[in-house]
Amino acid sequence: MIFGRGQKKKIKIVDKGVEKWIYSTCGYCSTGCAIEVGVNAEGKPVASRGVSGADVNRGKLCVKGIFEHELFESSGRGDNPLIREHTHEGYSETDWDSAFKTMAAEILRIQKTWGRDSFAIVSTGQLLTEEFYTLGKLTRGVIGTNNYDGNTTLCMASAVSGYKRSFGSDGPPGCYEDFEHTDALIAFGSNLPEQHPIIYWRMKEAQEKRKFPLIVVDPRVTALAQSADMHLPITPGTDVVLLNAMMHVILDEGLEDRDYIQANTNGFEQLENEVQKYDPVTASKICGIDEDTIRTVARLYAKAGSAMSIWTMGINQSTHGSDGVVGINNLNLVTGNIGKQGGTSLSITGQCNAMGTREWSSCSGLPGYRYLENPEEREEIANFWGIDSEFFPKQRGLTETDIFPAIETGEIKGLWLVATNPMTSMANTARIRKTLAKLEYLVVQDSYADVETTQYAHLYLPAATWAEKEGVFTNTERRVNIVRQATQPHGNSKSDLWIFNELSKHFPQAKKPEFPEAPAEVFNEMAELSKGRLVDISGMDHDKIEQNRGIQWPYTEAQAERGEAPKPGGKRLYTEDGTFSYADGRAKLIPLPFIDNNEVPDDDFPYWLNTGRVVEHFHTRTKTGKLGNNNKYSPIPYMEINPDAAHELGIRQGEYVRCVSRRGDAVVMAQLTQRVPPNMTFIPFHYHDCVNRLTLGLLDPHSRQPAYKQSAVRIELLADQKAAAKMSMKRRDF
Amino acid sequence: MFQVRSDEPKYAHLWDQETKVENRYGKKIETAPENDVLREQDFIINDEIQQQQNPNRYKQHGFFLNADNCIFCHACEAACSEKNDNPAHIAFRSVGFVESGSYPAYERLNISMACNHCTDPVCLKGCPTRAYTKFAEYGAVLQDPDVCFGCGYCTWVCPYNAPQLDPVKGQVSKCNMCVDRLEVGLKPACVAACLGNALDFGVIENVPENRSQAEVSIPGFPSPDITQPNIRFQQTKTLQREVTRIDDTPIKYMRNDDTGRYESVVDDKHGHQRQWNLGKLLSSHENAHALFTLSVQASMGMFVLLLLGSEIQQSAAFIPLLAMMLVLMSFGLFKLLMHLGKPHRFYRGFNNLRLSPVSREIAGVSLFFAGLAGYSFFSLFSYPLTILAANAFAIIGLLGFAAGSFYMYKLYRIPARPFWDHWQTATAFYATMLSLGSLIIAWFTVGFMTTPPLKTLSLIAAIGIAIQSLGFYFHARYLKRGTGEGGASHYTQTTVFGNTYYLRNALFGLNLIALSVIAVYGLNSVTMGIVLSISLLVAAYLERILFFAIVIPTTMPGAFFWKNQGFVEHAREIGLAEREQVGVVYEGHHKFNLKELLQTVRENSIKDIILHVRWIFTGK
Repeated sequence: MIFGRGQKKKIKIVDKGVEKWIYSTCGYCSTGCAIEVGVNAEGKPVASRGVSGADVNRGKLCVKGIFEHELFESSGRGDNPLIREHTHEGYSETDWDSAFKTMAAEILRIQKTWGRDSFAIVSTGQLLTEEFYTLGKLTRGVIGTNNYDGNTTLCMASAVSGYKRSFGSDGPPGCYEDFEHTDALIAFGSNLPEQHPIIYWRMKEAQEKRKFPLIVVDPRVTALAQSADMHLPITPGTDVVLLNAMMHVILDEGLEDRDYIQANTNGFEQLENEVQKYDPVTASKICGIDEDTIRTVARLYAKAGSAMSIWTMGINQSTHGSDGVVGINNLNLVTGNIGKQGGTSLSITGQCNAMGTREWSSCSGLPGYRYLENPEEREEIANFWGIDSEFFPKQRGLTETDIFPAIETGEIKGLWLVATNPMTSMANTARIRKTLAKLEYLVVQDSYADVETTQYAHLYLPAATWAEKEGVFTNTERRVNIVRQATQPHGNSKSDLWIFNELSKHFPQAKKPEFPEAPAEVFNEMAELSKGRLVDISGMDHDKIEQNRGIQWPYTEAQAERGEAPKPGGKRLYTEDGTFSYADGRAKLIPLPFIDNNEVPDDDFPYWLNTGRVVEHFHTRTKTGKLGNNNKYSPIPYMEINPDAAHELGIRQGEYVRCVSRRGDAVVMAQLTQRVPPNMTFIPFHYHDCVNRLTLGLLDPHSRQPAYKQSAVRIELLADQKAAAKMSMKRRDF
Repeated sequence: MFQVRSDEPKYAHLWDQETKVENRYGKKIETAPENDVLREQDFIINDEIQQQQNPNRYKQHGFFLNADNCIFCHACEAACSEKNDNPAHIAFRSVGFVESGSYPAYERLNISMACNHCTDPVCLKGCPTRAYTKFAEYGAVLQDPDVCFGCGYCTWVCPYNAPQLDPVKGQVSKCNMCVDRLEVGLKPACVAACLGNALDFGVIENVPENRSQAEVSIPGFPSPDITQPNIRFQQTKTLQREVTRIDDTPIKYMRNDDTGRYESVVDDKHGHQRQWNLGKLLSSHENAHALFTLSVQASMGMFVLLLLGSEIQQSAAFIPLLAMMLVLMSFGLFKLLMHLGKPHRFYRGFNNLRLSPVSREIAGVSLFFAGLAGYSFFSLFSYPLTILAANAFAIIGLLGFAAGSFYMYKLYRIPARPFWDHWQTATAFYATMLSLGSLIIAWFTVGFMTTPPLKTLSLIAAIGIAIQSLGFYFHARYLKRGTGEGGASHYTQTTVFGNTYYLRNALFGLNLIALSVIAVYGLNSVTMGIVLSISLLVAAYLERILFFAIVIPTTMPGAFFWKNQGFVEHAREIGLAEREQVGVVYEGHHKFNLKELLQTVRENSIKDIILHVRWIFTGK
């Protein structure tokens, strides 16, 4: 061996000089990883690491979290408010006070001219819960528009709707600890390794300790599908058929949990009648899964001591998204797999605080899972806020996906976008462009001044991002965890909470709610409002949340007063018989007739277009596209295409192709892989001016969530490859 | 000291309780016996003497990859780059993948790979500056970027793509095994970050808990015979017989049913269309190497021929020829110097004379240059003493020629680069000396002599061309018969550069005929002479630039964008490389930092220099 010859060399290894680690919660997906930001002597964030003692991630982070500290300094951040009169003019910088004055004046003008609801607000799943709550208060209690929604309509609305329909309330009943107890796991349209790598790791850890069968339902051979014991490559958009057929087998063979059904559900007979129609033979012709496999999986699931289902956008983003969720709930109810260890119906949520917005933003109702439709709940909130309950609408207004058409039809004239990027994220973006161009007034509030929507805005408000401010997120397993401030906001940007609070001062109402300044005070308001609700967080406060590395709700004031420490994990909902959120405590079994209204491939558009995410990017790439160590793994738009299909079209690896749908076209680089079937392509949705130029996005009747994953396209090889490459490059120039 | 948290998770801690005595190759796992001098010297990280805490410090460690479990989540790569503060275009660890089967029976095998801290570290042996050290501590092969002058030779010899040449900084850096973490009992950052429970780390040959295999190879991994890498694999999921790469490299892997191993074979993924791609060749960063080797070889050929040809020595052509050789050598050395990432550190090229063929080449060529210069100078005079001196320098020149030319060839005999690893490299290099050497001499004799010895020179050149052509024939045969990367190189030279390659062959044939005719009948036409000269020069250039452009190393499979040479080239061509976040940068020349050189000169005394020279020769 040739060891250190001569004098042993001194070794130099990078030392970033971290002086202090600041506790926070990751601001990307909803896994809710506890993260520490390392700050050096100059106070600059230079490192990130997972918090070892946090139950969710136990010291681990994914590729995005590991570089999250680089976000603060990433390019394109906004420094100052920008203003212009017409969208064809350039922006000029302005101060915050003038910005608020103009904004409030414009909102009031539009509302005065066209009615209160003619100004719409679309927010996000990215803000801190205190900010959501405050925005809700501002919208419902001061501005008073009923056309207020979050972009969670694009990702979680079907889960929300499905939970509400089945259980009487939103709120995922399971937790990550369920992996450690389950005897069978089905993942419907959920690719944990790319979408939620840390949840995948928790599952893998559980599997390595105690092997349980994993069944993956996905049209693509995803990383999870590849590691599954059984992969069911389903025909897009037919999950309800598969679920009905599974229940058909279960009921046919008497494998259901009669006691559980009797004690906990209504509507069993109607369900039984409906699933009668879905014998495995009939179903297999529709969903593409052979009858034997349907039977095997149904038996496995029903016979397992406890069985759990997880799902993500494969279910949510379809025309029967809500039905798909209800179907999964049905399956778990008839097999008695709700509220028990390893038995659950767990929606794996999307954004870091999709849950927070669902709970507290008042988007679809009022704070704390309250409904506008419920007069007592309107009264309760109005009193709490110190306003007249008549100020509230009596019914929920438009969802995000209905707000845009309402701009088209002229009902809505002004829009305020908060931390969302519909020009990349909404289906059929050509239509969205036209829609935004129609607005009399558009305000964009975002951490990035180069977010595409600023092309159509009249006012841009630079917001602080993530750990430049303080507050809480709620994750997939209902864990409230805290983001502490690690650094000052970039430039002259401000926290969203400050922006909402300051803006509220510019509205002239006589009876106005209080707007506390400190996030901790806002949290205490929410805690007060949560007492006795399903989402009871009254036992928590900011410091306690950090000490416990996040606390799952419910954690009540009574528990806290008793000195009962929050459980580190494993908290479930509906663990007792008859405790569902419907008045009678019973869940509903809802029959699900299948209507196939999807755009399916035909002679002119012969390929399914499937969309989804990749692990290194988050949503519309406004953040991860800036960070080389995230972005480099997929820096330009591409599509997966089956090599057999590619050969027929004369497409070679790495060539640029044009995908055409009935809506528009997109230029992408072809990646030939057998991961997709010969009649399907897959294009990640992160890229601007790409896949959502093609998608149809039919809306789910219950959740109003768009079906992104079922469209039809044709594919053409581009003759001028160089021009195509240049065009692809210019589409998003950071 | 690396800071260990009080609640550091169990998975982050090293786990080896018992260790084996020998590895599977019969080598001791203990790197330095008790009381060895290597144990007594301080182990210093960031100027801090490490107090030994790790009981296995003096044992060879290595990574363990359970390839069944790798999910391509990039957490290992990210954790590594975060810890080492690497920019997007540099990665000490990378994940690539291979695919097999067809939908839905499709399998993708992801392979996460960093440095394997080999038992036989070819990087260390190859590095001319001695930037590499194999430490007794953990058997870690560590590289010091502050020593490196950015020649990139380690990136040529390493079969696993471990050393990373940074075109921006002009230096190499690589995986440091996170020895700072090992010192405090923690696994490397990449392992602790793994989300698939795929990566592990420990004393070599130890199999982690819940794992059953410790293979030395998986599909896509180059033969472990080259370096005895300290990595072990588990891969129990069966793949199809054919396993393909998604990157640009025309390689796939076929299962050899006798051995069960996957062997690399050519994948004709770029079709069979013959192209020129001259632009690619002309703009290639490798032109520095092509021009250096050509001009040095021409000069060496001229020198030897001149020494043999007393007739020319006495002619008027002699002095101009000496000048020409000096010009050629200066040009060649300039090209070589300026292709370095840190040209001002050129003097470090001698550091590894004891092991590196590159150091020996540099030394040999320098010696040749010194001999040539002295010989040229003293040949200007005709005193007895100067004649003696001229002869002495001629001998020095010949010694330099012998060593320089041999190691110039030897350094390309790289097992990880099968295209070069053939005797044809020698015939090409030595034959070039004959052909280019006699060509240049011929022109000077035409200019300065009344009866230029064109027949003899043509004969010598013809012999050169004939030898080289014979080399081509056997080389092509070897490439076609051999599997894998050599075959892929041949596939590339007959397709992507097909027209250029056939032009080269045709020119060699025509040149041979023309030279043979002249050798017999002489040459009367100046036009013919010019045409033939151009043809010889073009053929020589094409031969050499193809030699550098076509080589396909046995390296790790890449991904679709990341670590895909095809995408790297595309990004540079289109302009994507201008964006930092794409992770591709342009190759470029680096300036000669005179300030740094002068500072080095100022900071080092004569004594230091003597000590340094002693260190080069004795290693102490």
